[in-house]
Amino acid sequence: MSITLPTYSRLEIPLLGRRERLWAIIATGLRQGVRRPAAIAITVLGAAFTTITSIILLFLSFLLPAGQGTGLSFFAVPASNPFVLFFVSAMAAVIGSGLIADDIQSMAFTLYLSRPITQLDYLLAKAAILAPLVALVTILPLLLTALVAAFLGLLSWTIALEAMGISLVIGGLLTLFYTAVTLFLSSLTRRKGIAAAGVFAVNFGLTIPAGILAESIQNPSILYLSPWNDYLAIANAAFGASGAGIDWPVALAILLGVTVLAALVTYVRMKAVEVITG
Amino acid sequence: MNGVVEAAGVSKWYGEVLGLNAFTASFGQGITGLVGPNGAGKSTLFKLLIGQLRSDQGNITLLGENPWNNVPLKRRLGYCPEQNQLYGWLTGQQFVEVLLRLDGMPAAKARVEATAALKVVGLSNAAHRPTRGYSRGMRQRAKLAQALAHHPEILILDEPLSGADPAGRVHILRTISDFARDGGHVLMSTHVLYEIERITNNIVLIHNGKAIAAGNIHAIRALIDEHPHAVRIDTAKPRQLAQALARMDHVVSFEFPASDTLVVRTRQPDAFYRELPQIVSDTKLEVHGLESPDDSLDAVFRYLVG
Repeated sequence: MSITLPTYSRLEIPLLGRRERLWAIIATGLRQGVRRPAAIAITVLGAAFTTITSIILLFLSFLLPAGQGTGLSFFAVPASNPFVLFFVSAMAAVIGSGLIADDIQSMAFTLYLSRPITQLDYLLAKAAILAPLVALVTILPLLLTALVAAFLGLLSWTIALEAMGISLVIGGLLTLFYTAVTLFLSSLTRRKGIAAAGVFAVNFGLTIPAGILAESIQNPSILYLSPWNDYLAIANAAFGASGAGIDWPVALAILLGVTVLAALVTYVRMKAVEVITG
Repeated sequence: MNGVVEAAGVSKWYGEVLGLNAFTASFGQGITGLVGPNGAGKSTLFKLLIGQLRSDQGNITLLGENPWNNVPLKRRLGYCPEQNQLYGWLTGQQFVEVLLRLDGMPAAKARVEATAALKVVGLSNAAHRPTRGYSRGMRQRAKLAQALAHHPEILILDEPLSGADPAGRVHILRTISDFARDGGHVLMSTHVLYEIERITNNIVLIHNGKAIAAGNIHAIRALIDEHPHAVRIDTAKPRQLAQALARMDHVVSFEFPASDTLVVRTRQPDAFYRELPQIVSDTKLEVHGLESPDDSLDAVFRYLVG
């Protein structure tokens, strides 16, 4: 007598592209953010405050003596708006700090990676959740300010478009920096509170002491330690405003270098995440 | 080497901790139970099989392929992790759908398959409730649903019965059996030999990261029967339940480690598991969870490894 074992037939479903698959993680992450009042509040307040203050600064610029008012260099002022620093830190802490930490804590990361995605896919999806939200504070206010100025005839469209292009580049750089650093910090811990504290430490823990120290010892090179001051140097240079005390190429190299390094280390770190359970 | 899983001298270190120690085994078709106490290396082996860890030494294959970084292979396996996963605010339906979308399934198809998988595991009625409100047994079934939903060739189930209530255990075991009967392969870990015995005779014993025995389950049954088997029961009325269970002559002792927990030790686990549902039903006491601490199995392993 012979026994015939049943042959199991798999359900063959056409595999959708990587973008569609990653969208599942992004959509879930955004839905999670929308469920948290603190995340909504900080995003809405951040976008509103930074945009409104930028537009107010635009109108105030007419009070300045002739030649110092509106022009391309004016945009260095809203670009260095302290509200940007505050809200970017807050958004990174409230929204970004848990993006990876929560997944490691709940072991959702293990479940995600049991599906046909790579660690890089996972990280890209997480970055795609945070970066657009950060951009609401780093890019959107500058774009809207330039649009308002052009619509009201306060600036020529040529200057407005130039300002918008520069805003996209420098705002994009700041967005990438905070996204990479926040994900890096989030990947280091299972507790998002620690990652959130790290975000504030990177911002204020470096910016404030660097400013005080540079002033007291009369050595502006110390300011290179502060990502915010690096960004200000780049923004001022890009908009043709007077310098921030440090050279923008060096500042750019530092900001880009830290961004790339943080992204690389996060990737390596995620590949090494192991949970001993038995 | 033509097994579903082939492991030859596989070692994995976590720093100075040895997760697997020259693990060598071959798992054939159908259902195979990986039995070992907590910390034996079961989850480490599973993470190697799903490609989330890379072995430090040796070779391991799943369905004839090296699982490390093998993204296409992941479509052929369904993984049910031991720990509770993903986000509690997702409903059971959303939970399965999200993971099916990661498989590359179109949204409409994912909805249909998620609904079908939840029906298979008996969660249709709870499909639209957030999983944070699920009992532990329901979460186990939801995780089993996501592992099944994309119709994999092999199921890798890490302690799927852990914490499940009696009805949930029956449902999970039946689902696993049906999957294997239809030609799928199952690799299931447990530290409770009596659970796996209901659905397969093929087991691999793992201890301290090594495969110490493989083959027919009955060979080691006698050994285990010499050691009282502990069962932890979650119930609101542990003393009333103990009173009801006391009429089982094979019960050795009771412990009440918490106000809602009862630990029973029995010399005949088979009989205990067979009779328990009837007693629970007769006394109308609610049992929220059932778990076997691995101390009895650990005693057997200590005996086996000297």
